[in-house]
Parts: sequence; C-alpha cells; structure tokens
Amino acid sequence: MTAGMTVFAVSCTAKPKGARTLQKERQLGEFLAEVERRALRIAEIAVRDRDEAMDIVQDAMTKLVRNYSGRGKDEWPPLFYRILQNSVRDWHRRQAVRNRVMVWFGRANSDDSDYDVVAAAPDPTGRSPDEELENSEAMRDMETAVHALPTRQREAFMLRTFEGLDVAGTAVAMGCSQGSVKTHYSRAVHSLRDKLGEHWQ
Amino acid sequence: MNKTDEQLVREAQEAFDASVDGLDAATLSRLNRGRQAALSELARPGQEWLRWLPATGVAAAVLLVMITLRGPGDVDRIIAPAADLDILLSDESIEMLEDLEFYSWLDIQELEGDGDLG
Repeated sequence: MTAGMTVFAVSCTAKPKGARTLQKERQLGEFLAEVERRALRIAEIAVRDRDEAMDIVQDAMTKLVRNYSGRGKDEWPPLFYRILQNSVRDWHRRQAVRNRVMVWFGRANSDDSDYDVVAAAPDPTGRSPDEELENSEAMRDMETAVHALPTRQREAFMLRTFEGLDVAGTAVAMGCSQGSVKTHYSRAVHSLRDKLGEHWQ
Repeated sequence: MNKTDEQLVREAQEAFDASVDGLDAATLSRLNRGRQAALSELARPGQEWLRWLPATGVAAAVLLVMITLRGPGDVDRIIAPAADLDILLSDESIEMLEDLEFYSWLDIQELEGDGDLG
C-alpha cells in the first residue's frame, strides 16, 4: 500500500472530532448518572445537609468533566470521589471558619472546644414526612454514627462500603496508601459496631 | 474481620442502598440538571478566555489610571502589581485560593501524567 493510500485509509476510518466528543459526552453522562445518587447520599451523610450536598456533588461533577474528561473511564470513579472528598473537607473547613467568625461576633454561645458537629447537625426527627419515608430509622442511626467518625475513617468506610470502591480505588480517592485505607476502614467498622451495638437493625 | 463486622457492613450497605433508592423525584431532577450543566463544560473549551474578560478589563482600567496619575516613566513598576491584581480579581483565582489543597493536588496529578493512578 502506498503512503497516499495509507493516509486515505486512515482518514476514512478515523472518527471525526465531533463524533469523539459526542462519544465522550455520552460516556461521561452515563458515568455521572450512575454515581450521582450515591455521591449525593455520601456527601449528605458527611455534611448533614441535602442542599449543601447537592452543591458539592454538582461541583465535583463539573470539576471532573472540566479536568478529567480526557482520562480513561476506568479512572473516573476514584478521581470523582477524590474530588468529592476534597470538596467535603473544604466544606468542613469553611464551616469551622464560619463558626469561629460567628463566635468572634458573639452570635454563637460556645467556643471551638465545645463545638459538637453531631449535636449541631439538623435534628433527624425534624425531617419532612417524605424524608422520613425515604430514610429508615436504621439508616438514621447509621448516618449519625458514620458522621461522628474521624474524617479519614468516615471517608474510608463510605467509599468502601457505600460506593463499593476496592482498596486501591479508595487509596486513590483518599490520596493515601492502601495500608492506610485498610487501617482506617478497620477502625471505622469496629467503632461503628461499638456505637451501634451488635443488635443494630 | 469477624462475623459481626461482616453483618454490620452488609446491613449498612442495604440501608444505604435503600436510602439511595428512596430519593424523591425533585432531588433526582436536580441531580439531572446538575449533570447536564457539568456536561455542558465539554461543549465550550474554547470559551475559557471569556471567564477572564471582566477581571482583565478591570486590571486594564486600573493600570490606565495609575499611568495617568504617576506618569509613563513608572510603567515597569506599575505592570507587575497590575498583573497581580488581574489574578486576584478573577473569580477563578478566588476559587483557587479557597481550594488551594485541591489545586495543589491537581497540579501534582498533571505533573505525574497518565498511567500512574492504577
């Protein structure tokens, strides 16, 4: 085959740029549709506020598309959850700063050492009837217990148990070693068992 | 992991899955809109420069005022702080300052390149 014929053959078989973009958009759309609901619940458990969780998930989806659409789709899950976890941590930092500012201006009645994230969270019994239906009593107990875990343990437990990432994927998502993931996860499970009791559910 | 731990994890998975399945229509609709908005980023990579336009305009105006007030001889001394101002005034940089850790991580990922995440 001559060089000219080779070029012609390649130009005929190669997908046009527009088709590649459409295919990438379709793949990203399928991936995001697959993870968005679980991501929302994971973020909601971490921040205890659905609207805030929705913003965090939206932000994570946008950052993934903007920065990593060119990566292979096998890389998207750990990357997406790493972005999500970073966003959740950032949210908690902002909340801590906001709380300090409120204390400074005398609009809070406790100092940092007294601040209890669980106690400050919305009362689960104050949810609407629809939300009551969608969240069982068992899940509320679990959410409260998971939320109260140290940050890294909470991340490891939610990524491994709720999202189903393997140890390697969780390590990428958390930005740490696989050994650390195993340690955090093991401690989280034992802590939850102690808090919830063996007769939970 | 003993039996009790396995049971707890399995029951936690079931409770979580049930809560995901129970998300209401309004929430699912918001998620869908958010996903579409995120995907729209793919369609406009060439318009990235538009995000810098307002900040660049403000910086140019400030530069012009400073040159007018201090005279053309000080242009070199004025340009450097004006460039900083340009960066500081953009929405993108404010976001970057807020998410410094994330962008630091993002830079590291870019430097390491492909094939090192598996």
